[in-house]
Amino acid sequence: MPVRVVETSAAPSQAPGANVGHASPQACTLLGVGQAFSGTQNVSSPQKDEAWRVNVRIQGCDLDHGYLCGTMEALNVPMADTPVVTFWEGEIVDTKNHTFFTNKWKATSEVDIEHWTKFPSFAPLLSQVKVDGGKSLDLSSYHYIFMRWKEQYFVNVGTDCGLTIAGFYYACFSCSDGSINGFYYDPNSSSDE
Amino acid sequence: MPASSASSSAPHRPEDLILRLSSAADGRDGDAKLRLLRELKNQIIGNRTKKLSYIGLGAVPSVVSILSSASSAAADSDEVESLLVQSAAAIGSFSCGVDAGVKAVLDAGAFPYLLNLVSHPNEKIVDAAARSLRMIYQSKLAPKYEFLQKKNMEFLLALLNKENENVTGLGASVITHSCETSIEQKALSDAGVLKKLSSLLGGSLSQRDASLESIATIINSNPEVISKFVGPESGRALSIVTELTKDRYPRTRLLACMCLIAIRNTSPSCLEGVGIKTKLILILLELLDDSGQVGDEAAFALCSLIAEREDLQKLAFEANAVDKLCNHLEKGSLHAKRLEGIFLALSSLCSKLECCRSRFLSLKNNRALFGIFPLKGIFKIGLLRCWTFGLTVSFGFREALNLVTDALTHVCIEVRGAACICLKSLSRSVKNLSAGTFMNEIILVPLVQLLCDSPTSLQVAALGAISNIVVDFTVHKSTFIQCGGAKQLVQLSKSMDSTVRLNAVWALRNLMFHVNNRCKEEILSELTASVLASLISDPKPSVQEQALALVRNLVDGPEDFADYVFAEDCLLLHAVGNQLQNASKPDVLLQGRSNLGPPRLFPKKKHAVSPGGGWGKDEVFARDADASIKELTKGMYTLCNVASGNEFSKEAVMSQLFCQTSNTQCILVNFLQNSDSRFRTAAVWTVVNLTFPSSPGAFDRAGKLRNAGIATQLKNMVDDSCVDVKLRVKTAIGQMMSFGDGST
Repeated sequence: MPVRVVETSAAPSQAPGANVGHASPQACTLLGVGQAFSGTQNVSSPQKDEAWRVNVRIQGCDLDHGYLCGTMEALNVPMADTPVVTFWEGEIVDTKNHTFFTNKWKATSEVDIEHWTKFPSFAPLLSQVKVDGGKSLDLSSYHYIFMRWKEQYFVNVGTDCGLTIAGFYYACFSCSDGSINGFYYDPNSSSDE
Repeated sequence: MPASSASSSAPHRPEDLILRLSSAADGRDGDAKLRLLRELKNQIIGNRTKKLSYIGLGAVPSVVSILSSASSAAADSDEVESLLVQSAAAIGSFSCGVDAGVKAVLDAGAFPYLLNLVSHPNEKIVDAAARSLRMIYQSKLAPKYEFLQKKNMEFLLALLNKENENVTGLGASVITHSCETSIEQKALSDAGVLKKLSSLLGGSLSQRDASLESIATIINSNPEVISKFVGPESGRALSIVTELTKDRYPRTRLLACMCLIAIRNTSPSCLEGVGIKTKLILILLELLDDSGQVGDEAAFALCSLIAEREDLQKLAFEANAVDKLCNHLEKGSLHAKRLEGIFLALSSLCSKLECCRSRFLSLKNNRALFGIFPLKGIFKIGLLRCWTFGLTVSFGFREALNLVTDALTHVCIEVRGAACICLKSLSRSVKNLSAGTFMNEIILVPLVQLLCDSPTSLQVAALGAISNIVVDFTVHKSTFIQCGGAKQLVQLSKSMDSTVRLNAVWALRNLMFHVNNRCKEEILSELTASVLASLISDPKPSVQEQALALVRNLVDGPEDFADYVFAEDCLLLHAVGNQLQNASKPDVLLQGRSNLGPPRLFPKKKHAVSPGGGWGKDEVFARDADASIKELTKGMYTLCNVASGNEFSKEAVMSQLFCQTSNTQCILVNFLQNSDSRFRTAAVWTVVNLTFPSSPGAFDRAGKLRNAGIATQLKNMVDDSCVDVKLRVKTAIGQMMSFGDGST
């Protein structure tokens, strides 16, 4: 279930936090608490392709721990009467708290690399990531922030909304223009998702 | 229990006994005095109610009178010595665990007599006097002992060198009670007291415990004394203390732990290794099972060990501390001290780690899930697992959370305060704030109630919890307003106490974060623009910071939200602008220049910026210097957000940025030149918003900014050390260049 979230409006929300560790990405005002993003989520299946409108809002950010969280709202989901809101938690690939290798959620390093390489901005990092998951990379000045977002629970609907949140997103945030691109991975998703 | 030797007539009436004691004290009948002293002693030993009753009826002065007359007797006799022993013992009994008794004893002038008797040749008298003085020194009311006087230090050492364990215990108690400053700690250490106390660790149980307590006092927060204590000159002191953490007596284990915690909290390098840290946590958790004072103090000791230390909180979590503390809470009918300690320990545990918060909030969930789980078997496994997580958040932790909310109305003020602090830590969980967990009347009503007519400390504790809870990401903030919360916060934002004021404004700022327009209007009408304007120029920078953040959240949202700052003849906008003008003078603001690189041009780039807001974590109250930085950046971001609005808004911001007496002096220059990247980021964003190319007046504004030196300064920043600044500078230069470079 590939997903694309494009930022259309963003703003400085809070003064960036201090005490950022040397390997952490520097605070980016576009990825601060309160920031909202909107875009589309493309849902492909053999039967049809759909594009859901999606809003994302950042609710918490802790760069020291490589942590980010927020909500994702899918607006025109065919099988749901109302917009579907989920709460997600994110791991920032800072090579201190998290590397490019997921090591969980049924994602092997091959799956990781397969997904990360879908982002053009990942290309310069590929060779080193293959060696050590990017552990030795210094991403503190890199203009892109790589993340994994894992939806944790449905905020406003029950399970009868017909959606799954079993997978997770590989996401890439551009510090330059504030856009976010993401790709969903769920090894157990049924073919109609 | 010894039988009373009182006469048969009215044997149990305190008034009669006191009358007889008073008459005897004035007389010369030693036997009568002795008999009455014994009778009194037998009445009050171990009976707090009777002690208070006799104290209230004035028994103590009569006993002290007997002590003083026996002390000044011309010659010692068996009778005099017995009177001294019995009167000292009765005084000790009055002082044991009852502050009113200690006060009565001190008021009656017993203290100097008892102190003299410690040097008496008769060992029994010494023992009785030392025992009484120890009781007095258990109370905060005991007089402070001046260690820095040479004769006092000699006397103290003499006490510690005695064989009698009550005398050495007295010496230790004096230290525990009176040693307060680092100078006193060092003086005691230099005089050899620490060494002597270390040697007493091998003595009797009483000596060991008293020494451990004193050692903890002498080394507390004093790295110099600690290095001496753990160094070679103290022998094996550290290893003996470590060994005592395994002692068979719970109190000894607790006191040994407290010594090690004092070392660990001040000089972590002296106590390295995960092993000892885990051991301390495990011992303290086990000591919680003690139903007495040891169990009470163990919770406070655990709190002290893990406070602000994430590594130790993680170890405690792995040692199942959340479950164990919660199990104690669930027992119910705990006394106040125990409850307070457990809530504080839980608060420390949940202050940083989400896993601890999640664990506490999910406790006792299994039964509920077990009941519902099978009904949802139609779903596939992945979905079901996620759904159960949703359940955990939505329903499951009501019970565990209720233990805390129940305590918000506890009769004891300390328990209410500790419950607030615990709630503050729990509500740091963004995951639960997003689920709306805390935004309900069961929690809000008692919390708001605590804001009314409570002591300052309790108000501050409640405000801390409220500040987090009102961040609530759901659409139910109106619940808080309906509970009267906004009204109370506004009242407290006018408090004379700056800590209360700060916390109230902080909570209002977070309440204003992402709230709907109707609530915004309600809050603002309660607060009023004039009060908010006065808070922006509050004497405390930390209050200013929160007030500016409040305004920023006020204007966050659709374009017309900026109208709030234009109301009442631009009252709020002027307040923000004035604050920035006053506080951003070069001598105040300019702390150094950023790393400047060679000028470089970037291609044109458009960027739209809409207003943004923010909520503030409660974690640390900013120091004033840091608060000033935050205050100024928040002020600039407020203008930045207003500048993202229509032409009127942008022009209004321009008028605030330029010095009233000069059309070319702009405070943005000072911000852009500051060494702190937070200033630079805020300023560049403002330039971006003011020069957004599609806005009609952008050309003129770009020209004015160029004349003020902004363009030149931006060109100097293209290689800024901060990536965020660098990227925004690129955008700003691109926008300004789109109107030409100003050379024509």
